[in-house]
Amino acid sequence: MYANDVKMSWEEVIEETRDFLSEEFEVDRDLILPENSLKDTLDLDSLDYVDLVVLIDENLNVKLTGEDFKEIVTFGDFYQLVRKKLAL
Amino acid sequence: MIIGKEAITDYIPHRPPFVMVDKLLSATRERFESEFEIERTNLLVSNGFFQETGLIENVAQTCAAAFGYLDREEAGEPRIGFIGAVSKLHVFELPVVGSTIRTVVTPLHQLGNIYLIKGEIFAEGRILLGCEMKIVVTE
Repeated sequence: MYANDVKMSWEEVIEETRDFLSEEFEVDRDLILPENSLKDTLDLDSLDYVDLVVLIDENLNVKLTGEDFKEIVTFGDFYQLVRKKLAL
Repeated sequence: MIIGKEAITDYIPHRPPFVMVDKLLSATRERFESEFEIERTNLLVSNGFFQETGLIENVAQTCAAAFGYLDREEAGEPRIGFIGAVSKLHVFELPVVGSTIRTVVTPLHQLGNIYLIKGEIFAEGRILLGCEMKIVVTE
């Protein structure tokens, strides 16, 4: 995985993701944990999911669809999906 | 031009006096372009200028016309869309009565029935407004 032309490990991808999600959705970074609910923690409504898709595309170059979110409950689920898309 | 002033209400749900787009000049899944002449009698004209609210509505109705056109092209009925959110709004200048504005919309992302678009309005080569808008389309 490359972000800003720097090769990143999977752990670094997760930390980077926590950083930009925390900043964009104004949520305490420490609450972004694998076992916590993505929707509840980020306080997402249906319009916010579009912002999430844009963020993931811009930061990780991963394109998500509405179908992708059907199986996602926790950040752990979310990370697994991103990892699968990145083929890491 | 693909839709003229006389037919625009076949593609959008809005009716006079709240029609804020005259013509759809082009529409693909990647880009929409419309034209609108600002008349003195327009509801959203104040002190001789078309107001910010009118410019935002013009972007939304450009989307409505283009989605309506594309839906019909694909053998479906035009769907109704709603403004979900407006962000990154910059208004640089208001168009004067009698001028014609040209609006360019670029769809950026789609998630289900929600579209994130970039809207830009121009007149006489100058940009009047730029924004992003989330449009929720009925399913």
